[in-house]
Amino acid sequence: MSWYLVRRVGQAIVVVIGVMVLTFILIHMEPGSVARSILGIRATASRMAIFNATYGLNQPLYKQFIDYVNQVVHGNLGTSYYLQQPVSSLFAQRLPRDLFLLGTSTVLALLISIPMGIYQAVRRGGIGDNTLSAVTFTLYCMPAFWFAVMLVAVFAIQLHIFAPLAPTGTSLGSMLTQPRALVLPILTLTLIQVAGFSRYMRSSAIDTLAQDYLRVARAKGLPERLVLARHVLRNSLLPIVTIVGLSLPGLVTGAIVVEEVFNYQGMGLLFYSAATRHDFPILLGSTLIVGVATVVGNLAADIAYGILDPRVRYVSD
Amino acid sequence: MRMIRLAAAVGAALTLTLSAAACSSSKSSGPGGSAAGTPKHGGSVTVAWIDAEPNFIFPFAPATNTDGYNQNLTLPLWPALTYDGDGGQSIVNQKESLWSNLSFSNGNKTATMTLKPWKWSDGAPITSRDFTFVYNLLKTNYKNWNLYLPGTFPTDVQSVTATDEHTVVINLTAATSPDFFTEDVLNNVQLIPQHAWDKTSDSQAVGNYDQTPSGATAVYNYLQKAGSQISTFTTNPLWKVVAGPWKLNDFNSDGTLYGYVPNKNYSGPVKPYLSRWENQAFTTDSAMLDAMRAGRTVTVGSLPLNDANQLGALKAAGYSSVQLPIAGVTGITPNLYNAQDGTIFQQLYVRQAMEQLINRNQIVQKVYNGYADPGVGPVPVTAIPNMASPLEKSGGPYPYNPTAAINLLKQHGWNVVPNGVTTCQSAGSGPTQCGAGIKAGQRMEFQLLYPSGRTTTEEQEAAIQASEAQAGIKLDLKSEPFNTLIGTTGVCTASSHSQNCGWQLVDLGYTPYLPYPSDQGVFVTGGSSNFGGYSDPTEDRLINETETASSQQTFFQYEDYTARQLPMLFTPLRAGIVLYQSSLHGLSPLNPFSADNTEETWYFTK
Repeated sequence: MSWYLVRRVGQAIVVVIGVMVLTFILIHMEPGSVARSILGIRATASRMAIFNATYGLNQPLYKQFIDYVNQVVHGNLGTSYYLQQPVSSLFAQRLPRDLFLLGTSTVLALLISIPMGIYQAVRRGGIGDNTLSAVTFTLYCMPAFWFAVMLVAVFAIQLHIFAPLAPTGTSLGSMLTQPRALVLPILTLTLIQVAGFSRYMRSSAIDTLAQDYLRVARAKGLPERLVLARHVLRNSLLPIVTIVGLSLPGLVTGAIVVEEVFNYQGMGLLFYSAATRHDFPILLGSTLIVGVATVVGNLAADIAYGILDPRVRYVSD
Repeated sequence: MRMIRLAAAVGAALTLTLSAAACSSSKSSGPGGSAAGTPKHGGSVTVAWIDAEPNFIFPFAPATNTDGYNQNLTLPLWPALTYDGDGGQSIVNQKESLWSNLSFSNGNKTATMTLKPWKWSDGAPITSRDFTFVYNLLKTNYKNWNLYLPGTFPTDVQSVTATDEHTVVINLTAATSPDFFTEDVLNNVQLIPQHAWDKTSDSQAVGNYDQTPSGATAVYNYLQKAGSQISTFTTNPLWKVVAGPWKLNDFNSDGTLYGYVPNKNYSGPVKPYLSRWENQAFTTDSAMLDAMRAGRTVTVGSLPLNDANQLGALKAAGYSSVQLPIAGVTGITPNLYNAQDGTIFQQLYVRQAMEQLINRNQIVQKVYNGYADPGVGPVPVTAIPNMASPLEKSGGPYPYNPTAAINLLKQHGWNVVPNGVTTCQSAGSGPTQCGAGIKAGQRMEFQLLYPSGRTTTEEQEAAIQASEAQAGIKLDLKSEPFNTLIGTTGVCTASSHSQNCGWQLVDLGYTPYLPYPSDQGVFVTGGSSNFGGYSDPTEDRLINETETASSQQTFFQYEDYTARQLPMLFTPLRAGIVLYQSSLHGLSPLNPFSADNTEETWYFTK
């Protein structure tokens, strides 16, 4: 297992470096003047020259890349052209907010969808299963922005139960002091994820329920409760683990739709704004973070697989 | 040639995307806004903005900083010398300006300014030394000032002399228009406290370091560095010494929420009633509207024109509205040096025909629901009526007339194919021929680029596309994000043909104006915003005259000539709709220039 881990970490580093190089080249292939794009239609030649000199854009591309790598190695992701703040500071402000929002909703979604999927599998074809299937299909095919807008319209504008906006504070502490403002954004993301997770869980559990070892477990006299908890649950979790691992990059890229609807300053909006403004340092920093999160997510999923399924451990050892 | 700085105009313009401007013609609906009842002291107001995140508090930001909202942050703390806008009027507000007298002599080459005997928040007097401090810093460091444009303050200043504690004499290198200097130059110069800021480090005692070039650079660098440190905006002692009606009370780490409290030592004539007001950034219009419809967390906001049908619901939720015209010029710029079709656009009659095919009144009514300036020339008649010529007020030289447009093209040798593609039938440069450089069979088919993301812009371009088609002028519409668009739209001229000159027609949105709406580098030869390469000695002369003489007749000549020559196809300029809780008073009437900086006049009633 340890050699397997070393090998996977090595692969991950190569992937991250590849992502960094490719992104740098692609971004700098964009047509047009970055200085004009950032400084606006009234930018003078002298201001554009100052801008290019300040950010090294007047250097050859290979020199810019070397400088960038040197910065990254020293933990410096550069300064946003537009926001004029260190990219690392911008990430430090927004990343915890997204991790909280998306992390909370993902955990809640798992807590709901795992038992729900097993229930549906056990009661396959029954009224409960059909009803929940209808609900989850409806949620699954509903665009996130529409669902969010509907929740705001009903619970904030009509009923005045919850706030229409996310908390205004920038720290996690200040956000937690406004629980009413957290309900709708978390609810939106949770229910959208429940729709997906529960379908996978149901499908996986149905497969597991048909396995011979369950028959053996029941024949040994194991109570149904323990059959479900020990055998069905554990074996049905494998596809969910993969999905959760793959969703890790989503935790750091943010949920742009929800961020827009609920006025939530997160990574998604930061990345989107940077893309439209040609704010290269943020784009490069975001891509790097997402690249790292992707390989870490995959790695975590593989490790979890090994824990849940001993066969994976034996093969890799 | 003199080029004009934007400064406040940019700030105002940005604010106007959310709130917008108005003027004497602004119309208010609902009971609130205008003076009513007995004002009470106290109360808190939240002003909503779209995507507004200031990041720099020192009033003179670096050349690389383009965040126009920094002016929104700093103007309530350190007002500019001239306060533009008075109630609903687009005029200089003398009672709020920092000078009590401003006179010009020596053939308009000398300005003598007397500062009012006001005080900084720490009790120190505002003196002429504060102005020389600003001048000394900028004189040495103008290249690293984001609002500097060549040929203007401070490089057009020969000398500044403080003749007494409150009087400064500014000698210029050339004659200036007093109106231009008063309204457009001094409006961009914010006064800062020499007695508190003239130092080069936190621990250093205040001195007269600005009086040498090296000292001025050191002070400037120190203040700029301090001004970028968001976490100390409310704690750094530098920023606690203010002259404006407000003091910054809180500022969150990403600039999305910041609040002010009254400066108890404010010397100005209108003391704040509110105990607090704050600016809150929103990611989108719809998020802001949801907040307004859900409750009362937003006191003042704006309504996108494509959501004008929500006015009823918002009024039911307790809001009133006021229209706020934008002071600026907008239109479709033809690339006169496009390799393929530049020769077509160089023909004045082609530009005239294209202008006559734009149904401005219909666009104003159908696209903007009446909330727009018709846009018939370089000066908006609703936002700056006192500077709009009779020709512009009467509808401009080229009202909508498809028949005249078609005839004009036919008279110049074009085979007009309505709803098809008109082609040049008679090539040549004679009076009945298409014009020099235009080939026989050349098609009137052009690509029109415009910024994406605004529904009304999409609708306007579609309307223009349809109306131009009446004369067989085929427009292919293409939208791009604004920053992408300006990054790829090169400034194209006869002499320097940029690599990004493949574009044919572009609508870049509006260029904001200051109260004296002379050219902003849009029409003058070599102007920084003269993307299409328009160059006309008469135009240049008239522009120059507007900046060196204060004659309304001179200004009208420039204005009418520009309207007739069509360096751009003038199009309607949208207005803004400001929403405010009906219990808030003192907000309207609004003008385009101080609309977002008058919180000291706002109040609730007893």
